[in-house]
Amino acid sequence: MAADPRKAGPAAPRARAARRAAWARASRPWLLLAPALAVLAVLLFWPLVRVLLLSFQDYGLRQINTGESNYTGLDNYREILGDSFLWTTVLPNTVGFAATCVTLTVVVGTLVALLLQRLGRAWRAICSTAIMMAWAMPAVTGTYVWIWVFDPLNGVVSGGLDGLGLIEPRETNWFTDRWSFYAIATLNVVHHGFPFVAITVYAALLTIPRELPEAATVDGANAWQRFWHLTVPTIRPVFMVVTILSIIWDFKVFAQIYLMPGGAGANPDVLNLGVWSYIESFSRNQYGLGSAIAVLLTLLLLAITVVYVRALSKESDEGDAP
Amino acid sequence: MRQSPRGRSPFSLLSRRRRLLAGAAALSLGLLTACGGDGDDGSDGGGPTLEVWIMEGTNPDAEPYVEALEAAFGEETGALLDVQFIQWADAHDRFTTAMAGGELPDVAEIGTTWAAEFGAAGALADLSGSIDEAGLGDDLVPGLIDAATVDGSVYGMPWYAGIRSLMYRADVFAEHDLQPPTTWDELREVALRLRDLEPDMIPFPVSGGSEYGLYPFIWGAGGEIAERDGDGWRSTINSPEAVEGIEFYTSLATEDGLSVAAAETWLETDQLESFQNGQAAMVVNGNWTVNTLIQADPAWAEQVGVVPLPGQESGFSPSFVGGSLLGEFTSDEPELAWRLIEMMTTGELAAQWADQSGYFPGQQSLLEEVQGEEEPLVAPFARQMLEAGAALPVTELYGQVQGEQIVQGMLQRILSGDQSPQEAADEAAAAMDETFGG
Amino acid sequence: MTRRTSTAGRIGIAAAVTALLAFTLFPVYWMISSAFDPEADHRGSEVLPSGFTLDHFSHVLDDGEFGRYLANSALVGLGTVLLSGLLALFAAVAVARFRFRLRTQVLVMILVVQMVPLEALVIPLFLQMRDLELLNSLIGLTIVYLAFSLPFAVWTLRGFVAAVPREVEEAAYLDGCGWWGMFSRILLPLVAPGLVATSVFAFIVAWNEFVFAFVFMQDDSKYTAAVGLHRFFGQYSTDWGAVMAGSTLITLPVLIFFVLVQRRLAGGLAAGAIR
Repeated sequence: MAADPRKAGPAAPRARAARRAAWARASRPWLLLAPALAVLAVLLFWPLVRVLLLSFQDYGLRQINTGESNYTGLDNYREILGDSFLWTTVLPNTVGFAATCVTLTVVVGTLVALLLQRLGRAWRAICSTAIMMAWAMPAVTGTYVWIWVFDPLNGVVSGGLDGLGLIEPRETNWFTDRWSFYAIATLNVVHHGFPFVAITVYAALLTIPRELPEAATVDGANAWQRFWHLTVPTIRPVFMVVTILSIIWDFKVFAQIYLMPGGAGANPDVLNLGVWSYIESFSRNQYGLGSAIAVLLTLLLLAITVVYVRALSKESDEGDAP
Repeated sequence: MRQSPRGRSPFSLLSRRRRLLAGAAALSLGLLTACGGDGDDGSDGGGPTLEVWIMEGTNPDAEPYVEALEAAFGEETGALLDVQFIQWADAHDRFTTAMAGGELPDVAEIGTTWAAEFGAAGALADLSGSIDEAGLGDDLVPGLIDAATVDGSVYGMPWYAGIRSLMYRADVFAEHDLQPPTTWDELREVALRLRDLEPDMIPFPVSGGSEYGLYPFIWGAGGEIAERDGDGWRSTINSPEAVEGIEFYTSLATEDGLSVAAAETWLETDQLESFQNGQAAMVVNGNWTVNTLIQADPAWAEQVGVVPLPGQESGFSPSFVGGSLLGEFTSDEPELAWRLIEMMTTGELAAQWADQSGYFPGQQSLLEEVQGEEEPLVAPFARQMLEAGAALPVTELYGQVQGEQIVQGMLQRILSGDQSPQEAADEAAAAMDETFGG
Repeated sequence: MTRRTSTAGRIGIAAAVTALLAFTLFPVYWMISSAFDPEADHRGSEVLPSGFTLDHFSHVLDDGEFGRYLANSALVGLGTVLLSGLLALFAAVAVARFRFRLRTQVLVMILVVQMVPLEALVIPLFLQMRDLELLNSLIGLTIVYLAFSLPFAVWTLRGFVAAVPREVEEAAYLDGCGWWGMFSRILLPLVAPGLVATSVFAFIVAWNEFVFAFVFMQDDSKYTAAVGLHRFFGQYSTDWGAVMAGSTLITLPVLIFFVLVQRRLAGGLAAGAIR
């Protein structure tokens, strides 16, 4: 596609042709990117800017109704960052929960992808269909099913433990305690989230040329060495994506917390940033404050992602540079 | 554990909803043609079209009602209606976004606490002039019109009302020869006896997620949730009287073991479910649920009993008057909008709606008619409403308190044993004052 | 895919499969069995349903108008899948195969726009859609979901495109292919598994999203299935049988979609033979 060196002509046209070719080469990536970027800019970037603008205002229902602005500088941020509730409860909840969920989701998902690879055709079909069901089940329904399963009085789990004589159902409530609350939420989020990792990583595994592992087997590498030295580097870009996206989603978990008993604000111990932002905005009509929380969550995610991408892309960029 | 009456058709509850949905389906089909974008350009269909939002599920069979309303309204004014059903759970978000985008309906059903909220935001029209002109001012259920009135402006017209009283298992009480309580001590005693007589049942679930179960005890002990303080509001939920009520209510669970731990996070729906499953023996629940129970199984008509909430020593403990208002969202057609509101909230159509939905009409004269009928499952509620009804602090800030679930949080901390009633009430009062102050 | 596996390995795999199926399917089982349970509202901890009935389904389909909602969802879902696959593949080729200024910044920006909690975007996005006059339109909803699924699709496909060895492309050029020929005949089949993964993802995003579908559609004939499901959650009681039947109906088409595209996942295997 580049300018053909055999068609050498007079100097000026050649320079012009070369310029045109260079311009074509430079503009091609932008042409390819344009439609995607346009959609993202209009539907996500510009609303994001509006969220940012809202976060500098004292924006209540009155402003919502009239559309007036009401700038108050950094007041919202001062209020949030000065609130010990953020540092002792919300932030630890958000970070701890997300870290656990991301780790479990990625590990379980990857293991399942490796498992799928080793299965025969029929079992692979069965397992991947089962995985898809877990993924396709609406999150709202999934959450209610987990609530039922752990219902302190009538649930399957408490029934089973009661049968074993381990608990007294009438005196048990797992939803009031921060740790057991989040344990149930973790189960729910991992159940709904690992299929995405499994399917994506499995798809990535399929692109590894088959000769590589076989050659390695001949070389006497064991399974772990094969995985670490052959599989991981090859699927690293995909791996990085699923991890980053899991981080982003698990930090933003909303419905799975909000719908749990006590999760909508009655039990402040279990709030995370996403639910807090929603409660400030839609339950308390403090849209500026809610937006500021959302912006802080975004900044936190941005920081984590940048650190993570830096750490990983040092090696991978060397790999995929031309 | 399933002690619910057997032999009921499992689908009667469904069929109730089914009819509503069928109605909604028929409506939306019919309305496709009537719906002209924002609904404000009525030029295409002859008369103008009013957009109306009604909460889904209140009336199990809304179709005939809406048809009758459309016909009556069309006949009188020549205007069309575009009725959309909105789910309660998501309605507040829907209103807020519509407000931001200038896409509000002309007339909508709103929860009582939203009148102050949307009214203060300037989204709702003041109806006080129209109400006076129509001479309706003295004929509206007090609790409801109070909730809609902010500084002399009325942001909603009472449509239908509901109230919570004490519901109990009449069959179980009869079996053990127990009497429904008339004082707080009797409530505790009868519950204690039930605990021994029916060990598998829950004598009196104290639901941590339901604020409306607690308020009667605060009011019954002579306490208040908040009071006016100059221009603003100040929480009094930690006053000695209020704390006495909170202490009594929660001690039924924490000291007497009349509830279960699971109820610490129950909402009112969970509590009703446990009553319906045959587990709970007494619950504080609303008059509209009686219909739900009987429609699920006619046998409930014999098994449920109702009394007004007992007072501390005598009389009744006041209960929150809930229900819905109809508000006008600064419509382009204010006269038509008012005409529609008047048609829906008074006279025959109002009585019809209340009857079908299992609520009380918002018009005092209609409510008195209902009480006069002396139905055993209706009259105690009507009595509670007329003699011991109460309103929450009328300020948009109390909507924020509810949004934050301050009262539920307080209840849950007491029930789970994290805090004493006084500590939790002090904390809740501080949290409320912060909201009132900001 | 079968390799020499020891007996211990086989047992390990069998145990892993069992654990996987149990963990994955238990909630699914609960959903489906409750959908057929005539006493779904009072099921409690019963592991087996109390009977068998199709009434919840007929209720949901006949009176809940689920048929129409599913059709709406299918339109939106397929639209999202096609558009996001196409747009994301172009963008992925751009960032994986070209070196240009701002490349890293563009990649990071694509991620950043995904980081805002969706709940905070409800009002700003509502205003934006109103200004674009795309409220109350299934096309508008499709474009919103396209935006939600693009970041993942671009990043994932970038990985897949980068994994295709350059030599394969160069060989195509040597065979006389133009860039477009190389793209459609070589690159596309090789990244097919990635496209499958992204289209499954895009489909599920569009299929299960609730908030925007509810807020943007003013006309209840344009609701999607996820919104239809919320109709069964009442203020004072929830019709669990209908919720579970509706959820089962929502889950099924995703499975069908997956089974259909799964062939392409296997197709990716065949394409691997080129390498």
